[in-house]
Parts: sequence; C-alpha cells; structure tokens
Amino acid sequence: MRYVLIDRFLELKRGERARAVKCVTLGEPFLQELDGYPSALVLESMLQVGGALARVSGPAGARTVLGKVDRADFPSVAAPGDRIEVEVELILSRPEGTLCKASATVEGRVVGTAEFMIVYLPPDMAPPPTPEEEERRRRLMRALKVPLEEV
Amino acid sequence: MDDKEVFEKVQKCVATALGRDEEEVTMEAVLSKDLEAESIDYLDITFQLEKAFNIKIEKDELFPQKIFQDERYVKNGVVTEEGLKFLGERLPFADLSEFAKDPKVTRVPDIFTVGLLVNYVKTKLPG
Repeated sequence: MRYVLIDRFLELKRGERARAVKCVTLGEPFLQELDGYPSALVLESMLQVGGALARVSGPAGARTVLGKVDRADFPSVAAPGDRIEVEVELILSRPEGTLCKASATVEGRVVGTAEFMIVYLPPDMAPPPTPEEEERRRRLMRALKVPLEEV
Repeated sequence: MDDKEVFEKVQKCVATALGRDEEEVTMEAVLSKDLEAESIDYLDITFQLEKAFNIKIEKDELFPQKIFQDERYVKNGVVTEEGLKFLGERLPFADLSEFAKDPKVTRVPDIFTVGLLVNYVKTKLPG
C-alpha cells in the first residue's frame, strides 16, 4: 500500500466488518489548491479498509486486488478538519473474492458510499507475500492500531 | 418460483453485474460475446445470483476454470467426443447441442448464455 489513506482502525472483525478513520488536514498539499477533499480519495480509503478486511477474511496468504467498484456515490464533500469514519461490511465471501459494502461519514454526514469486489489471486497468478513484505505489512498494521491477532 | 420469475431475477443480476439495460439481457444472449462480460464479471454475476436467490454456488460449479487441461479432451483446438461428454457431465445444466455442431475450443465461452444461468439457478432452487 503506497499511499496510506487510513489513520487508524477502530474495529476489524474477520469475515464481518471493519471500521477505520481518516483525518483530513490542510497539510495535504493538494487541499491548498482544492475546495474540498477529493471523493476519489474517500473511495480509496474505503477500498483500503475493505482490502484489509478481505485479507484477514480470505484464504491464508492470498494476495488481494480490487476487482471492481459498483454504485459509488459521494453526496457531500469532506474538508480539512473533518474526521472521516469509514465502515465496510463484508456482504458475501467466496474462495475467489469478497463483495463489500462501504460508507464514509463525517459526524453522521455521508461523504461516500460504494459497493466493491476484492479478488483473491490464486498462487499460480501471484506468489504469496515474501517474509519482507509480510513484515512491512505488519509494521503498517501496528501503526494503524489494528489488533495484532487479527493481522 | 416459476420460470418467468427466475428469468427476471437472473436478468436483473446480469444487468447489474455488467452495467447493461435489462432489455439487452435476453435468454439467448451470450455473456462474453453479446454482453461483453470480462473475467471479473463472472465472479460478480456469481455474487449477484447468490444474493438474489439466497443460494450457495461452489467454486468452479457454474463457471469452471481450466476445464480442458486434460489433452484427451481437446485435439488440434477441437473438443473431442470424450471432451464433450466431460463437458456435459461438468455442466449438466448447459445445452451443448449447438456447440457440438462445431466444437472448437474457442467457442466454449459461447455456451455461457443467460439461458444457461436460468437453467443452473433452477437446479439450485428447492422443489
């Protein structure tokens, strides 16, 4: 995950749901040029939370990739100072992937909703993560306050 | 649930997964050729069917992967008699009569029509 658009996990329940927060600050350089926080980044936050949920819920060691996004909607815009709460629910799960439903809110105001599919890549398409990659991921998960037993 | 109801629900599932108008999703429509389904869409269709009909679809049950790895089943790009028999056993809900007339392996995706999905779902429903 190159650009981390989650600041902290609040909950990560294997096979069920995850909640996390992203705090918007004026320190993000592009916000000094724009009127509001880009909805594409709200979507990315939802996808990153969903990716983490799918990963702990799917086949051990499988790599996850985004399959497709459906029905994304962004009825309002976040701004610097807002704390975006992202909630992702796992609707259906199969050995090939999961279907997720997500929402992003700022103090109850919806800034984004989406349904998306996360796909598990079979080992012949993508080898499992190396020990170094696993360690990097663990460090990130610790920084995001994900309960370690869920990682 | 009668056949019409099953079709209408399948039609909605396919239209949703592929971003198509429901009128385009006819019984005869081939998922790949007519509705431009790509590999990821087959998983989406599977999810939509599971959700709409409250059924469990096992991996490779509806859209099997790597079906012709055995060289007895395909020779020179054509599905053999043995291959056709295997295909029939693997997809008992598929109508292979048209395919059997010209069983080129490149035509295998044409088997997967909306009608095939309707037949499949009917086998999964109680009663």
